[in-house]
Amino acid sequence: MFIDIPSDIIHIRKVSSDILSSLSSRGVAEDKLFDIRLCAEEAVRNAIVHGNQGNKRLRVKVACWVDGDKVFIEIEDEGEGYDPKSVPDPRGDNGIMKESGRGMFLIRKLMDKVDFNEKGNKIRMEKKLWP
Amino acid sequence: MAVKTESKDGLMICRMEGEIDISSSPDIKKVFDKLIAQKTPKIIVDLVSVSYVDSSGLATLVGILKNMRSYGGKMKLVGMSSKIKSLFEITKLDKLFDIAASEEEAITGF
Repeated sequence: MFIDIPSDIIHIRKVSSDILSSLSSRGVAEDKLFDIRLCAEEAVRNAIVHGNQGNKRLRVKVACWVDGDKVFIEIEDEGEGYDPKSVPDPRGDNGIMKESGRGMFLIRKLMDKVDFNEKGNKIRMEKKLWP
Repeated sequence: MAVKTESKDGLMICRMEGEIDISSSPDIKKVFDKLIAQKTPKIIVDLVSVSYVDSSGLATLVGILKNMRSYGGKMKLVGMSSKIKSLFEITKLDKLFDIAASEEEAITGF
């Protein structure tokens, strides 16, 4: 499944809805669907807000597929990319009271595997669907 | 998302329904900004009817807590689902927020 959206946060829900719809007949547990939705929405939001800097002329491309017992989600923006290792841990004394910075952290915790391309503008996430 | 406010036993209970995410957070913030402007001393946030929270929702709750603390106000969370509670645990926000098992416990614990 491929989805191509403009950089506007009103489209975030469409991406997660389409992804969950594609998984609806596969008997995936509600908890896992929650995680997949959350991570897809966080990654799309990052692509729109941080990657494309909210520039509505730039696009966000999403690919989602199931291979074996895993779902794979790739999200690519048209921004300059960033170093994902530069995102600080939001659990520390300096981060716990901050009102941002938890999205990527949640993605890393809730998905089984998270990778970026070298430029840092494409994230690939995977998660086992069963049990 | 809807937020219903109810004054009870000298404190304010905010019953939230729906999803606390990037779409609903601005409206939620407006409701709490009014309570904070009035320096409401004690607020219980009832999450029993909340089905989804994202990082924007967590950030919104952190912002409310910060603003309440600025004038000595206190806030407690009750009724969160095990899934939503796990997000608080993963991010260690369960150590930052006062999370009560029930509304009764939250009321008596103030």
